[in-house]
Amino acid sequence: MKTLLIGEYREGKLLDSTYELLGFAGQLGAETAMLLVGSETQLPSYGGTLYLADAASCGEYNPDLHKKLILDAVQKENPDYIVFLHSSYGWDLAPRVAAALRVAQLSEVIALADGGFEVGCCNAKMRRTVKPAAGRAVVTIQAGAFPALQPGGIPLLQKLSAAGTAALEFIGYEAAEKKDVDLGKAEIIVSAGRGIGKKDNVSMIQALAKALGGELGASRPVVDAGWVEHSHQVGTTGQTVSPKLYVACGISGAIQHLAGMKKADFIIAINKDKDAPIGEIADVLVVADLMQFVPALTAKLAKQ
Amino acid sequence: MLVISCIKQVPDTTQVKIDPVTNTLIRDGIPFIINPYDSHALEESLKLKERYGLRSVALSMGPPNAEATLRKAYALGVDEAILLSDRCFGGADTLATSKVLSAAIERLNKQDKVGVVFCGKQTIDGDTAQVGPGIASRLGFSQLTLVDKIESIDFLRKTIKVRRKLEGRHEIVEAPLPVMITVVRELNRPRYPVVPMRIAAEEMEIKVWDNSVLKLDVNTIGLKGSPTWVSKIFSPERDQGEIIGDGITDPVGTTNLLIDKLLGKELLTV
Repeated sequence: MKTLLIGEYREGKLLDSTYELLGFAGQLGAETAMLLVGSETQLPSYGGTLYLADAASCGEYNPDLHKKLILDAVQKENPDYIVFLHSSYGWDLAPRVAAALRVAQLSEVIALADGGFEVGCCNAKMRRTVKPAAGRAVVTIQAGAFPALQPGGIPLLQKLSAAGTAALEFIGYEAAEKKDVDLGKAEIIVSAGRGIGKKDNVSMIQALAKALGGELGASRPVVDAGWVEHSHQVGTTGQTVSPKLYVACGISGAIQHLAGMKKADFIIAINKDKDAPIGEIADVLVVADLMQFVPALTAKLAKQ
Repeated sequence: MLVISCIKQVPDTTQVKIDPVTNTLIRDGIPFIINPYDSHALEESLKLKERYGLRSVALSMGPPNAEATLRKAYALGVDEAILLSDRCFGGADTLATSKVLSAAIERLNKQDKVGVVFCGKQTIDGDTAQVGPGIASRLGFSQLTLVDKIESIDFLRKTIKVRRKLEGRHEIVEAPLPVMITVVRELNRPRYPVVPMRIAAEEMEIKVWDNSVLKLDVNTIGLKGSPTWVSKIFSPERDQGEIIGDGITDPVGTTNLLIDKLLGKELLTV
């Protein structure tokens, strides 16, 4: 079995999550080759074949050219699986490649399962095992689902170039919003989920965060509702965090959120539903009404 | 010029429960809703209708009861709603679904040129994020995913300028029409139907196109035309964390237990 892994390069840097592709291939027990539109100054620590195109000439993301490069490498490598990260890059590019090759695509794979791939469905309440029909398939893997594997070595470079005009015209980036907090460095994070009920209750969670000496985090629905700034969002569309202590308040535990915080050393979930998926990765579960429990805990901590 | 929204009727997954005995979904009594991402696609098609005078068409592939979803689209203001429904469309994965939707879009394109097709960025019941891109490549339309703002359409140059939501930043990009756009929630706030429109929608005709209209090869659609299949649906193994105390009847006592735990792990700086 052979995989072609599509590495990722963003704003002049090789992304560390590229190594998760190697973790996936390792679990699959597959041979690997990698393709990267990046730079010779930022090579992955990987001793296999690397198809390298220069981002300075192809663009960090030019869908038509990148697709062409991948199809070129597919022809040379004849892989069973073409594997992307489920990022905005993979999200946009993988289905283009699948359509061009006329093969199936499996999106946001979480794990391997007897001959197939596990994916989440129904807001992560359920999982499905999906199998591609015989032959080739395109796969995207969820961030954080597979361990990063850094084999070391110097890649055997195969340089690719692509020319042609782009259908899409890239006009520019809009500056990222200012971050008032860097959760990636926080040692303690206390996060608010939909279970807090309304915007007014954010201050209650904030108070607990302060009492514990930590930062405020939030799940996606809370950010989407405009209750908390996006810079506080934890999850695959927010930040991936690894604090010593993570307290999830009223968070049911959508897969995207879990992927963003499961590396925390110690996880406490405070939730009224003892069967919520967050309980699966929490070390300690408190089944309680947030409105009663959180202020009581904050008051007790203040006295300590 | 047409602006099309592809909408899917899905079970409301926030209300889906799992049968603890059989470990399968309990579907009885679960209401159906428009896939939340698709409701933003529908809203944006109405916005473009109002802004540029385009004709707005809603398309849905599904069983006959998906008509309810299209009626809601009428109540919100679409000009035409079409249900793509046939037994042979059933059991389709994303590839086979995009084939049926593409055939319907092609058919509409013969009456009036299609400018923009909106799809939600993914569905909440399937989460594959492939149907929209599948339509784009099948029809040779431009593909713009993860769009959170429509900047403008230039009808003379036949281009559209949008903003895409990427990790921690936004990208502004321009693409030629026709275009397939998948949208994220930040794009807009879907409107609510007003009562007179809701009443009027009850009278509206929902066209049903089956395979006698679309004339697709039955081996390429539905279950037969699907290169992936689901072998199992299951509830993830729950290796529960330790439940401490009884936070419901004794919140204060439970705070003590929790604080002891934190002290034991040296996570409290006293």
